[in-house]
Amino acid sequence: MITRISHVTFFVLDQEKAREFYVDKLGFKVNTDVKMENGFRWLTVTAPDQPDLEIALLNPLEGLGYDPEVKAAYKLLLEKGALGAGVFKTPDCRATYEELTAKGVGFKGEPKDQFYGTEAILTDGLGNWFSMSQPK
Amino acid sequence: MPIAPEVYKKIVTAKLYIDECFHEPIDLDRIAREACLSRFHFHRLFTSIYRLTPHQYLTRKRIEQARKALAGKTLTVTEICAEVGFESIGSFSTLFKKTIGHAPNNYRQQEWQKNVQAREQPRSFIPHCFIETCTKSNSQEE
Repeated sequence: MITRISHVTFFVLDQEKAREFYVDKLGFKVNTDVKMENGFRWLTVTAPDQPDLEIALLNPLEGLGYDPEVKAAYKLLLEKGALGAGVFKTPDCRATYEELTAKGVGFKGEPKDQFYGTEAILTDGLGNWFSMSQPK
Repeated sequence: MPIAPEVYKKIVTAKLYIDECFHEPIDLDRIAREACLSRFHFHRLFTSIYRLTPHQYLTRKRIEQARKALAGKTLTVTEICAEVGFESIGSFSTLFKKTIGHAPNNYRQQEWQKNVQAREQPRSFIPHCFIETCTKSNSQEE
């Protein structure tokens, strides 16, 4: 019986910029940052109130065993900002929107009320889009 | 009653002030001044938005910075205590243990051991499915 999820992957083309974004701007914590002999960097972060879900920020072009076609597909998707990676929860969407906007985070627009809560859509600037949601 | 956008900006300005000046001896009066709000209104609004009082948030920020410094710097615990804005080593140690679950020195030992292991045995941190992908990568390149 599977009961919980412990790791998810967000693909990025620049892990250093990803570390800056998720840690310095969103306030996530680095859980692990190690490098293997072949250059593969295992970088994971966790959200402040969710230390048991590691988000692996991986570069699909470096160290992973993808063939050139797959690598080109990932590169295209990330460069075009075509990946929607998930939904972040916040206790107050409008306050977090103001804070992240002040830190230079890109949003598709101001927070809007939806039937499930208040939501704004943000990008990590590395190809991934997220909803940031304050549930009702 | 909904909070007006300009009030959100004021509260966020004060939060960012805490994030930047946590190491200084700041108090509620000083933080509320940053928000251009009375102590009472600022405290009520901040607590309603962040589910933490300004003091709780400031303490959390200081403990988090201490955690990073203990893991990454060679300063003594007393020096780190002062660096992140605590005045008393006793209250710092007690709060740190209550929040993180370990005394500052024990936490530091664990983190330093983890850093050594990360350098010497990086594979021990990586789930095997990713190791297999890397191995496949190496064999393709050979």
